[in-house]
Amino acid sequence: MANMAEAPERRPSLIPARADGWTALSTLSTVVVVIALFLFFGLTSERFFLPQNLLNILKQMSIVGILGIGMTVVILVGGIDLSVGSVVLLSSAVTALLLDSYDVAPVPAIGAGLVIGALVGLVNGVLVEVAGISPVIATLGTLIAVRGLGQILIENTYIWVTDPLFVDIASDTIAFLPIMAVIMLVLYVVFAIVLKQTVFGRYVYAIGGNPIAARLSGVPLLRVKILAYVLSGLLAAVAGMLTAATVGVVGPNAGAGMEFNAIAAVVLGGARLSGGVGRVEKTLLGTAIFTMVLNYLTLSGVTAIWQQTVTGFLVLGAVLLERFVQRGK
Amino acid sequence: MRPSEPVFMNPDLTAMRIHDDYAPPILEMRGIVKRFPGLVALDGVDLSVRRGEIHALIGQNGAGKSTLMKILSGVYTPDEGDIRVEGLPVSIHYPREALRLGIGTVYQDLSLVPQLSVADNIYLGREPGNGFVIDQTAIRRSTQALFRRLEVRDIDGDERVGRLPLAQQQLVEIAKVLSHEPRILILDEPTAPLADEETAHLFRILRGLREQGIAIIFISHRFKEILQQCDRATILRNGRLVTTIDMQGVSEDELVELTIGERLETFFHHAEQMRANADVVLEVSHLSVRRAVRDVSFTVGRGEIVGITGLLGAGQNELARALFGIQDGVRGTIKRRGLVVRIRSPRQAVRLGIGLLTEHRKLEGLVPDMSVKENISLPSLAAFRRLTMFIHNGRERWAVRESMQQLNVKAASSKVKVSTLSGGNQQKVILGKWLLRDLDVLIFISPTQGIDVGAKAEIYAHLSELANQGKSIIVVSEDLLEILGISDRIFVMYNRRLTRIFQRGEVDEETLLSAVQGATL
Ligand SMILES: Nc1ncnc2c1ncn2[C@@H]1O[C@H](COP(=O)(O)OP(=O)(O)OP(=O)(O)O)[C@@H](O)[C@H]1O
Ligand SMILES: [Mg+2]
Repeated sequence: MANMAEAPERRPSLIPARADGWTALSTLSTVVVVIALFLFFGLTSERFFLPQNLLNILKQMSIVGILGIGMTVVILVGGIDLSVGSVVLLSSAVTALLLDSYDVAPVPAIGAGLVIGALVGLVNGVLVEVAGISPVIATLGTLIAVRGLGQILIENTYIWVTDPLFVDIASDTIAFLPIMAVIMLVLYVVFAIVLKQTVFGRYVYAIGGNPIAARLSGVPLLRVKILAYVLSGLLAAVAGMLTAATVGVVGPNAGAGMEFNAIAAVVLGGARLSGGVGRVEKTLLGTAIFTMVLNYLTLSGVTAIWQQTVTGFLVLGAVLLERFVQRGK
Repeated sequence: MRPSEPVFMNPDLTAMRIHDDYAPPILEMRGIVKRFPGLVALDGVDLSVRRGEIHALIGQNGAGKSTLMKILSGVYTPDEGDIRVEGLPVSIHYPREALRLGIGTVYQDLSLVPQLSVADNIYLGREPGNGFVIDQTAIRRSTQALFRRLEVRDIDGDERVGRLPLAQQQLVEIAKVLSHEPRILILDEPTAPLADEETAHLFRILRGLREQGIAIIFISHRFKEILQQCDRATILRNGRLVTTIDMQGVSEDELVELTIGERLETFFHHAEQMRANADVVLEVSHLSVRRAVRDVSFTVGRGEIVGITGLLGAGQNELARALFGIQDGVRGTIKRRGLVVRIRSPRQAVRLGIGLLTEHRKLEGLVPDMSVKENISLPSLAAFRRLTMFIHNGRERWAVRESMQQLNVKAASSKVKVSTLSGGNQQKVILGKWLLRDLDVLIFISPTQGIDVGAKAEIYAHLSELANQGKSIIVVSEDLLEILGISDRIFVMYNRRLTRIFQRGEVDEETLLSAVQGATL
């Protein structure tokens, strides 16, 4: 500070002198990418800008986006959660069964689905943090086991979800925004605040940034990390409800592969996979990029297999770009 | 180029210099400017270094020493200014280019990979072998040869670096750089984690290198060793060049004055009388740590400063870590205010009112990607809560600002990443972290490593003040002057045991030194 006062002259610098100059800059650049893609896709495809298509994009975004929130939190503490796609199946299967076969009212049925999701998260957290299994292995295990459980529950067939509440969630809009998108945005606001303004959020960054220093500062590592997995499971269950609502049916492959979409969104948002760096706001932008690209490919008549390939390369490209930017700095 | 002013040069002694003053410098930096967002780190600095000299670079924390050296080693590129090596202009954009020019650097924050062995670390990135399979025997043999040449005896090349004490890690880092056979060797605070004996060893090595004509740039806050060992010194203050002087005939006071721009009157704030220590706040009985501490018993009183010292590996660090629940293989009992407690984790320790600062600044002290503010408040967040889970931003900011002012932390703002601070300022942040948290027993291992003279005096005064307020402080340090200066009682550990306890004023440096080396009475 003394230095600043005594420096005789300071030339204006292109880099903002703000403390978080670089993060602000890179958030800005991600926003620019989102807008550029949006315009490019709109101008090169006749159907991209159609209101129906934009609504579709928002709905697709909602599910990936909500999974992306939980994934961001888990990745921030230095973990990963591969089980979220299976949680989508199990939680929606539980809810659908309760509605269909046991005539439970929709709200408790949804509650049960969410609890199941949180419980799977708890199991993940305990496996990783208490049993000491690496996150990839532990959640790969639950990915397989939980999908199996879900398929057992629905006896490997399809259960229709016809409850009016679900129909409403899938089709209603609030001021042109689909309810699903509203739910997602509310969750994003909530988690942006949680990560920035709460003690839990601060601990999340500290643990991901340097677990040893965090522990030596008296941060309750175990509790915070397990809670991160629980939140991821819970959010995956929310995504499960939305999936059931949009598809209208729960089948054996519900949610399959969604974990990769969520991870892709987080990576496109620039989070560091080893933890400590990343923000949900940026995951939302990552989700937008990911969903728009998929949608555009569909509109252009690109087959599903090719879509997968292209998105795969997209993620790799994003990681390489991130590396490059880091190096340039 | 500004002429260097040999203000304190003693004409009689200059004639005795072995090296020719008029030989062209091997390294010349002119008008170096480096700006970072929000501050100017270097503002037109010149540095000229000759072959076969040990050239000290001196300045307060944040003066720009490390930045200047990082420009030389290709970590940063300067905004202005030019560099000549052996008279030829060079531009250094990558660390690799610096190495190719023969510039080898030991950075202030060690750059070793803790999971790899000592030998693998030394040959990292240039492993001998056929390109696929690493020739492990060759690595081991070269490492042994290197250690033999450097007279390093007690480090095993196969040991994982993370398991070595900091002082030995420092030696490994130096060995690694020397294995590149540099013409210009930069050492950024190499002696900060070293005790006297290892420091002497290091200087033996450096004098040997000087004989071979290697130019050595040496950064340190310890004026004693600079006065004894260095040929010339360049002094920086606030990013500007003060002067370059010949060390012959310069006194410590003059050097201090040049560095901080004023005289430093009182270095240690001695308490007028022995602080009352009737209330025992911490009682340790028959504490042992596997392979490190044997049957140690002592008490610490309220408002007392206890200094613990000993040779490297005498057990003092493990003892401190045991009191914080981060040491394996601990036996014995610990009582807090008369009650037996079990401390198995830092969290429990903190809840029992005990805080610990370890010597591993980067590894154990800081979360590099978080801001200065977030690092300082991390142990105290619970105190800044509102509505049970939210952080009270105003209170946090206020407390952090207070703490930064108190410790004189130099940063563009409290929001910058802590990793952009200078080494000494990072150390102040860790201190601030534990001083902010209101704990009864504070244990500090090497609390002032890397901190400049002026700031040190302030920190000692602050610790004294805390003790007067009734806090109990345990300082573990190899720096005997520090221990002598601040402690009410001094514990000496030798060969894993607590061998001597001295009262304040009962012992001088010489006696303490022999006690540290194992003398019994
Ligand atoms: N990467 C960076 N980004 C922003 N500021 C920086 C960066 N590196 C250094 N600085 C700032 O430049 C100034 C000089 O730092 P430098 O590390 O050179 O100090 P130093 O003389 O080595 O101090 P110390 O004795 O504490 O190691 C400091 O104020 C520091 O905060
Ligand atoms: Mg430095």
